[in-house]
Amino acid sequence: MSGNEQTLRVFIVDDEPPARNRLRDVLKDCSEKLPLQIVGEAGNGREALDRLVELPVDVVLLDIRMPQMDGIELAQHLQKLPKTPVIIFTTAYDDYAIKAFELHAVDYLLKPIRLARLFEALTRARDAVPVQNEVLRELSPEPRKNLSSHERGKIYLIPIEQVLYLRAELKYITVRTAEREYLIEESLSALEKEFAARFVRIHRNCLVAKEAIEGFEKGGEDSAESAGWMVKLKGLGELLAISRRQQHIVKEFG
Amino acid sequence: MNNARSIKQNAGADALPNFRNLGITLRILLISNGMALLLALMQAGGWADVPQRMMQIATLLTPILLAMLVLLWAAQPWLDRLGYWRGVLAVNLSVVAMTLATYYLGGELYRPPNRDDGNFDVVRYVLLSVTVSSTLLMYFRLRTHALSHALHDARLQVLRARIRPHFLFNTINAVLGIVRTQPRQAETALEDMADLFRMAMSDARDLVPLQKEIQLSKQYAALEQLRMGERLRVDWQMQDLPEDALIPQLLLQPLLENAVYHGIEPLPQGGCIKVMLRRSGDELQLKVENPSLPRSEGTHRGNKVALRNIRERLDLLFDVEARYQVESGNDFYRVEITLPYVKERPKIKERSS
Repeated sequence: MSGNEQTLRVFIVDDEPPARNRLRDVLKDCSEKLPLQIVGEAGNGREALDRLVELPVDVVLLDIRMPQMDGIELAQHLQKLPKTPVIIFTTAYDDYAIKAFELHAVDYLLKPIRLARLFEALTRARDAVPVQNEVLRELSPEPRKNLSSHERGKIYLIPIEQVLYLRAELKYITVRTAEREYLIEESLSALEKEFAARFVRIHRNCLVAKEAIEGFEKGGEDSAESAGWMVKLKGLGELLAISRRQQHIVKEFG
Repeated sequence: MNNARSIKQNAGADALPNFRNLGITLRILLISNGMALLLALMQAGGWADVPQRMMQIATLLTPILLAMLVLLWAAQPWLDRLGYWRGVLAVNLSVVAMTLATYYLGGELYRPPNRDDGNFDVVRYVLLSVTVSSTLLMYFRLRTHALSHALHDARLQVLRARIRPHFLFNTINAVLGIVRTQPRQAETALEDMADLFRMAMSDARDLVPLQKEIQLSKQYAALEQLRMGERLRVDWQMQDLPEDALIPQLLLQPLLENAVYHGIEPLPQGGCIKVMLRRSGDELQLKVENPSLPRSEGTHRGNKVALRNIRERLDLLFDVEARYQVESGNDFYRVEITLPYVKERPKIKERSS
């Protein structure tokens, strides 16, 4: 957490201006009893991510239902920060999420926000354990809209529809778009599960975007591992090998 | 236009159907001709024989049927005053009279000169007519019962279906958010909310002046704009709207609420909801159109409760005289409702008692 520093640094994320107002008002009330400081606020997930990369904070008050990128997805990207802030979700009414919060003991506030409840959550925040990524994954009924990669002190968002393939390499996974490659630290099988509608496995270590498949070519060596089929992706020069076990996709997508 | 009255009929005890209603007329025509076809099938000796049998039946059925429809249309106000069972008797007696009149006036058409069967033909024709008309009346009675039950349910659903908890809690939170800095705006917002909930909790069977529903929908939009600011714009296009038109209450507001929840909220830049209201002849047209996220990104987790509720109420109130259409493209969603132009009728309550 904030180490020796006593003041709790709070960041607000909500797409509705009056809702941010409300939080500011109630936080001001809290500050009479609990040293805290509102260090910033953002109206959407992307803006929040850009700010939080540069701004060390202790607590993020995070609205769940926001356009473009919802709070749960933002929380997953925030895990990539070197010092993960404690996240307290806020929501007006969201049956699904609330059940999951209860299940995993994730702290959340119901709107309208109440002083006593916020105070309690902030007091607890100092010793709170950051939410695990797996739990966050479970909280969201839908797959993320972006992958995120932490690179030289910046978090890059990679819109999932731009991803051509994902390939596991030692510790990392290479995320390939038409422009460039990114490295992320996730598990390929978890990604396969989350984005089952979008990607298909062609090899033990590789998932390709179904939409990006342009065609198949015979080539490469014929071995126990490979049947000699390669897949060609739109907008990409390199060919990717299909394993013998996954050979059936040549028929399915060919 | 007797629809205002037929609403109360649905809810009350037994009542004859409204014979001036297009849906009722269509049902009478369809069911009696369906029964005639069944009869023809039973009499016929093979497929080839069916059309001829049907023709034979139709020569007697059609004149009686059409004459009865005209008669009932004209006698509607009188029948209403009779009460249900006397009304049933009157309808059946008219059917008997009409059958006899057609039989005897039709001359050789129904009584071939070479056939003498005493009064066998005339008796069975009368029996058939009474069976058909009684069956129809029974059907309409059952239908009224079924519908009034649905109406009851629909009433129970009012709150749950029409005002989303999401809206309620977010709006209260938003009002709390401005209460310290803009107390006057907060006051207006609470007043608007009170109006909205008063309407949602009132009797769902009532028709309200169109202008009142428009006013309420504008108050609703103002509440949403409080939360969403510039992101929500509403473009009202109104044309030749009659001052005296009545529409079912909370018909327009839920359409708007749906457009906000599924259309505007998921859009980062927001958008503009188009509300088009106009009168064309005997009908009112309501159209609500909103932009939406391209479908592939779909956040539409289809909460169709509100729309289903509207469609059911329209069926209940106007039967086939109201139409309901949904059109959705890649990036827009449009609901269009056409309903009869019903005018204020001060005597509504009196007639139901």
